Order: sequence, then C-alpha cells, then structure tokens
Amino acid sequence: MKGERRSQRKGQSVEFADFRSYVPGDDLRLIDWNLYARLDQLFLKLFQEEEDLHIYSLFDASDSMNFGDPTKLHVAKQLAAAIGYVGLCHSDRVSVAALGKAGRSAPTLRGRAGLWKMLQYLESVTSGGNESLFDAVKDFSIRNAGTGVVVLITDLLDKQGYEAALRMLVGRRMDVFLIHILSPEEIDPPLRGDRKLIDVEDGDAAEVTLNSYVLDRYRQTVRSFMEAARTFCSRRSIVYIPVQTDTPIETIVTRYLRQRGVVR
Amino acid sequence: MSWISTLNAWQWALLGAVPLIILLMYFLKLRREVVEVPSTYLWAKTIEDLHVNSLLQRLRRSLLLLLQLLAVLLAALALLRPGVRGESTSQSRLVFMVDRSASMQATDVKDDPSRFAQAKRLVAERIEAMQDTESAMLIAFDSRAEVMQTFTTDRGRLRDALDRIEVSDRTTDLLAALRAADGLAGAAASTKLDSEDPTVAANEEPATAKRIEPAILKLYSDGGFPSVAEVELNNLVPQFVALGSATPNNLAVTAFSAERNPDRPSELQTFATVSNFGSSRAAATATLSIGGEFADAAKVDLEPGEQTGISFKLENDAAVTMALKLDVDDDLKIDNEAFAGLAPAHTVKILLATDGNKPLELALGTFKAGKICEVEMVPPSYLESDGYKSRASSAGVDLMIFDRCSPPFMPATNTFSIGSLPKNGWEWASEPQPIVLIDADRTHPLMRYVEMLQLLVYRGRALTGPVGTIELLGADVGTVLAVAPRDGYQDLVLGFEVVSQANDGSLQVNTNWYAERSWPVFVLNVLKYLAGAAEGSAAQSHQPGETVRLRLETAAKSLEITREGDAKSNTVTIDSGSIAEFTATERLGNYRVEAGDKLADLFTVNLFDRRESTIAASDEVLIGYQTIAATTALTQQRHEYWRWLLVVMLGILVTEWWIYAKRLG
Repeated sequence: MKGERRSQRKGQSVEFADFRSYVPGDDLRLIDWNLYARLDQLFLKLFQEEEDLHIYSLFDASDSMNFGDPTKLHVAKQLAAAIGYVGLCHSDRVSVAALGKAGRSAPTLRGRAGLWKMLQYLESVTSGGNESLFDAVKDFSIRNAGTGVVVLITDLLDKQGYEAALRMLVGRRMDVFLIHILSPEEIDPPLRGDRKLIDVEDGDAAEVTLNSYVLDRYRQTVRSFMEAARTFCSRRSIVYIPVQTDTPIETIVTRYLRQRGVVR
Repeated sequence: MSWISTLNAWQWALLGAVPLIILLMYFLKLRREVVEVPSTYLWAKTIEDLHVNSLLQRLRRSLLLLLQLLAVLLAALALLRPGVRGESTSQSRLVFMVDRSASMQATDVKDDPSRFAQAKRLVAERIEAMQDTESAMLIAFDSRAEVMQTFTTDRGRLRDALDRIEVSDRTTDLLAALRAADGLAGAAASTKLDSEDPTVAANEEPATAKRIEPAILKLYSDGGFPSVAEVELNNLVPQFVALGSATPNNLAVTAFSAERNPDRPSELQTFATVSNFGSSRAAATATLSIGGEFADAAKVDLEPGEQTGISFKLENDAAVTMALKLDVDDDLKIDNEAFAGLAPAHTVKILLATDGNKPLELALGTFKAGKICEVEMVPPSYLESDGYKSRASSAGVDLMIFDRCSPPFMPATNTFSIGSLPKNGWEWASEPQPIVLIDADRTHPLMRYVEMLQLLVYRGRALTGPVGTIELLGADVGTVLAVAPRDGYQDLVLGFEVVSQANDGSLQVNTNWYAERSWPVFVLNVLKYLAGAAEGSAAQSHQPGETVRLRLETAAKSLEITREGDAKSNTVTIDSGSIAEFTATERLGNYRVEAGDKLADLFTVNLFDRRESTIAASDEVLIGYQTIAATTALTQQRHEYWRWLLVVMLGILVTEWWIYAKRLG
C-alpha cells in the first residue's frame, strides 16, 4: 500500500527521481525510449517510491537510561510519543516500543485513536532488562520484517558497542534515525576527588582520581565518542541527532527533528 | 663529597621507617567515595587512555607518593650533612688558636674587613664542619693566652666563645698560648673531656681505654711572632693557617719620645722613628699635635725596609701630652699613631747605704746625674733602724743602693745591691775569685751604651736569682750582674764589689770600672731605669695590656686615670705603700693621672713593636724546632649542602600539597 511518505528508495510513483544505465534484468517498462532514440543508449527512468510508512519508534529502556533529571528514559519516552503521535496523525503504521523484552508487548497502531494505547504502553515501561543493544535490535528485526522508518532513541552506552546494532537496522533496508540522548551530567560530570564509579547496569567498578586532567580526558572521550557515532551514522545514511536531556522537548521536536527530516 | 651523620643508629632506624609508613599509607589509603554512573563505558575508555598513554601517566598516578618519598630521601640526605672538601677526621680533637694581637687588625685580606675577622670566619667555618665525634678547644692569644672554651663537642658553645673574642692592641706571645694548649690537650687526653658537657659525657668512652692521640692545633695567625723553639709539643700536631698578604703596605711609628732640654726647661724636643715595613715605597705626612692641637708636621718618604728619624723642637713649659700621627692609608692603622708625654718634672730620691764608695758617689754626682737625683747617704747600720723600716714601707725613696750590705727586709722600692745579695731567692753560685767578663746583654736599658768586657775584676762571685731573673753580664764563673722582678719592683745585683774593704779596714778598689767611661753611664742608666728618672720628666711608655705601677707622693687616697679622648675616667685606690696599679691599658693613648684636681703623672701606651708592625704574613713558623708551613685556609673549608637539600625538600612538600589540593579541588 502506497502512502504519503517519500521514501529514500526509488520506486514507482509519478515523481521523477533520476536516470540510470540499463542493466540486463531491469524492467523494460522503465526504459526511457525517448532517450534511447536520441542517444542510442538504454537508460532507466527512476521515480521516487511512495510507500505506506511503518514507523518504529524504539527507545532504550536499560538502567543506564534511568539517569539524570529528567531521566533520559523520560525524555526518550516523550520523544517516542511525539514521533509516534506525528505518525498516527499521518495515518502511518506506528510501533512505539522499548528495546528488549518490554518491546514485545508493544502494540502496532494506526490512526489517532491509537494514541491512548500508545501512551498506556509507554506508561507501563520501566527501566531494567539490561539487554545489549545488538541483542535488542536483533530481536526487533526478527519480529518486524519489512522496511520502514526506525527512530532509535538510545544513549549508545553499551560496552559491546552500538555499531553492529545499527548495521543490522541498515541492512534491513530501514530508514534509520538515531537520537543519541545524553544527560548534561554525562557530558560534563560534576565530580571531583577520589571516587569509585559503579556501573548501574552491570555493577562494574572503576576507581578514578578525578582531577581536571582526568576530567578533560573524559570530556575528550565523550566528544570523540559522539563524533565516532556521527561519522559511523553519516557513512551509512543514518541521521544522527544528539540530544541533551536538559533541552526542552518542544525544542527537540520542532527544531532538531524537523531540521533532520524526522518530522515535517 | 663527605658525609657527617647527625643521627645515631636508632634515630636512623626511625627515619628509615618513615618511607615504609608512607608506602603503607599509600596502599591502605583513603576510601574512595562510591558514585553510581549510568555506565563506566566512557570512564573505562578514559582511564584506559590514561593507562596506555605513557609511563608518565603511571608516574602521575603515584606522583604524590613519589614526591613524599623524595622529600623523605632529601631529609635523610640533609641529615647526613653532605659537604665537599671536608676533612674526614675520625675521632679527633682540635685546638683552635686565634691570634688577636695588634697585627691582626691589618686590612690586607680579601673578602673580610681584617685578618682577625678572617680568622674568626675560618674558625667558624671549621666549627660548622665539625663532626659529632670531634671535640675542640678555643684559645685566643696576644701577649697573654686566654682559654675561651675548653674541649667540647658542643658547636654552640664554641660559636659563643668565638663571638666573645675581640682583637686587641697587644703584642704577640705565642709561647704562653702554646703551653696552655699543650697542657690542656694533655690533660684532656688523660682525663675526661669537658665533664660539664652532657653531650660529651654521653658519647664519652672511658678515658683509660682510649688511645691518647695528639690533638690538632690549628693556629690562625699572620706569623708575626718570634720563633718559639723552647717548647715541646707532646700532645699537639700544629697546623698553621696563614692570614694576610706577603706584600702589605705599612708605615709605622716605632719610637716616639719627648724630653725637655736640661739647660732650657721650656724647650721640648721630640724624637720619632718612622719605618716602612711594607713592600713598596711609602710617603706620608707626620703630624705632631700637642694637647690635641696641631703643632708641627714633617714629611717622610721611605723605601721598603728603610727607617728615618724625625725630630721637632717646640717651646712649651707646661706638662704636655703629644701625639704623632702618620697621615697614610696603609694596611695597619694602629701603628700610625704614637703618643708621648712630659710629666711634671720631679727629681728622684736615692738612698745609698755604704761604708764609703767614692766611685759611686762621683758617678751620682756628675752634672747630668746631679740634675735628676737627690742622694742621701747612710751607713749600713741605718738599715737596722726604725727610720729604715718606715722608709722601706713608704714610697719616699725611688731607689735604694746597698753597697756591700743587705737590709733585714726588702723595701717597697727598686734596689741595687753591690757585692751583696738581697734576701729573696738570691744565692751565690761560686766562691770569690778573679773573674773574666765574657758576655753582656747590650739590649737591656741598664746596659745601654755600656762597654764592660775589657774590665778587670779582682774578685767576684757568680750569682743566681729568683724566677724571672735576667742576666745582664756573664763571666767565666756565671752570671755576675742580673736583674729580677720582685712584687712589681726590680732588684739589680752586681756580683762583685766596686770598692772593697781590705783586711786592715782600708778601702781599695776591686775593679778598674771606676776609671772607665762606662761607669758613670751605667750609674746614669740605673738612675733612669731603676729610679724612674728616665728621660728626665718624660712620661713612661708602656705596651698595651701592661700593668702600670704608679708611685706617687700624694696624700690622696685614690687617683683618677683618664685616657685622653675618653670621657670616662678610672678610679684607682692607692695602697699602703703609695703604690697604685692600673691595668686598663688596653688602648693606645696618653693617660693622665690626677690626684684631686692636680695632675700627678702622665704615662703613655704605645705599640712600639717592630714585630707587630712587620705585618707581611709569613709562610711558615718555627715551633719547637719544627717548621710548620702555612696551609691555605681554603682547603679546610667545607661546603655544606644540607640547607639546600632542606630547601628543595620544602619545595617538594609545597608542590606535593599543591598537587594534592588540585586533585581534591
């Protein structure tokens, strides 16, 4: 079923997109005979594909997201809800789901009437179930075949890395938007002195003496971490949107997401 | 580089425990505050970066520990008192002997105001370089020796003693100082060291068990003293630290006297000798002032080693004090000035006890002698009378001459015995026999201008005197003329008679001396030297530090003695024999003696010592037939680094604190 959304993929519609050289096996119906007459070469005329959009708004609900004021999870839920609401308003198919086991009970909705269901589901999600990002995405991919738009809201703080997970989404021919959510405390920790840092997810401890040098190094690490994510995403046509939890949700939605083409 | 341990074994053990404690505290150190974070992922990455970065980062982690250990290490090093060029003496004893005589005021030294200041600095440096096992004694000497501090290991005491030493205007007598040092070094070696000193007592082993090793005598001097041969240093190994330059500049007044013209008492004549003891030609203006006012001046210009006489004639009939000053900027200032005075004129009184001695009477009656003395002749029997007793105990007589007789007790005045012996310690050393004179001490004032060796003496006897006797005339049988001190007086004894009584009672001459020109000259010398009639009425000159005996005929009970230029006067009481003793003669100058409001006497204190004025530093000295070459003071210096180590240690502590605060902050 064709929808309103213009996909990044080429397909059948009335809107011209591009030409490309003919290769054997291409649909002969798409050959531009006028060009053939003029140039004596076979070219295919490509059109924007219009599709019935399936929007997946996935948010990370691991323990690491339950941090900050407001928590990252809260902001992630708000964002997921906002995106889901926009999708519902456009009569798109919308799945707002937490990553991991909590996502299995997520309803697939269409039309505004699904809003309450969606909100109820969001309400029910709490932090926990610390699955790795890759496992969670794999689980999602297996359960949801087909193309669509995936908005992944996560802090990317996974010790096994986020790359495999994103690669899997891209490989499923999904349009992927990554909202990288971090709290200001993570970007610039208000800590000094000798501390023992405990990871809330796996209880891992790190003993550090926090002085300005170490903090500088940490900030540098955060910057390079975000930069690496951005580079990784841009190479794979993933839209990367860094978000800080202290930014008002309206600003995120009306400015950031619009700028990056998540919403219009 | 050498080290001096300032701690003993258990103290070192305690210090050694400090780094261990620091290490322990480092490992057991502060609990870290637990903080929950969403993920240690980024932190782990950060720390990983820090870890793999470099060795420097590892050091950074434990920088505080390293700094603390370094601080302790530096403290330990400082406690070891590192230094270079120090003397690595083991358990040794030192005797510091500091010359503080007049010549040490010379300014011909680099870096220090004077030789004396340099000596003090060098001693202070050596004291600082002393090890705990070393003990030291400090002696200061000029014309007399003073033990400032007996053997001690306490550097504080030595420093205090050193501070107390001040340079004097006196001459140098090394012998007394050497004897004192040798005696004390021997005594200290055989008995305990300074027993009052608790630090010594604590470290002291039983003296009997210890091998007596000689102490090191460190002599800080310019070598301006006569060679000391007659001392044997049993307990001392001398080292001579020479101070001053070998080529100094020094003009000096070596003699200055004044006298009245006997024919015209209102005319003054002054005579001065100026010598150039420097190594280069020197010129100066000699200014004579009377009573502080300019009177006359003369120029002197002398090649090295030369001397010249200056004389001035002036009209003045009052008692005057004079000063002669050389306006020259040389290395030793003290000998550029000399003082002289003309005391109120008085004649000397002589009591002559004799059965008759024509040659003596003639000699006392010469024109010159007659002007300065009044002679009273008494028979020997007078010595037994009450009249003698009362006169012998008062100061009415300046000289008593006993010709072939001796008094029952010695009078409170100088005496001259001819052919007889005074009571106190004099003895005959031979039987009467013909004697041949073989030696005379021409330097003594009594023997000045006297030529005696060709005299014929029919019968004479050798004599020995009490301690301090000076031989003036030696014969084949021994000493025949000698002078000896007695309680501040002097006894001159002649071992042969001039006129002797023959068996028939008649008088006959015993020598042909009476016919020689030397006889009246000798008698005049006796009048001048023994009776105090020297130079007519010229004020006596004394050397600094000498005790001045004043014999005055005055009813006053006390005297006021004032050094010209000083505001304060000294009060001296006159004892029963009309004698006053004055000891505060440390400073050069004219001294006025006043009884009531009347000027009673004058005397002067002058250096007049060619040895002190010869300030060229000698490069060796002779002590007890042993030539001691000068050692350069520099080699004995010890440069200590413990202060710098402490400063660095403090710097490290501050850095450590700063880093710590920065990490916390």
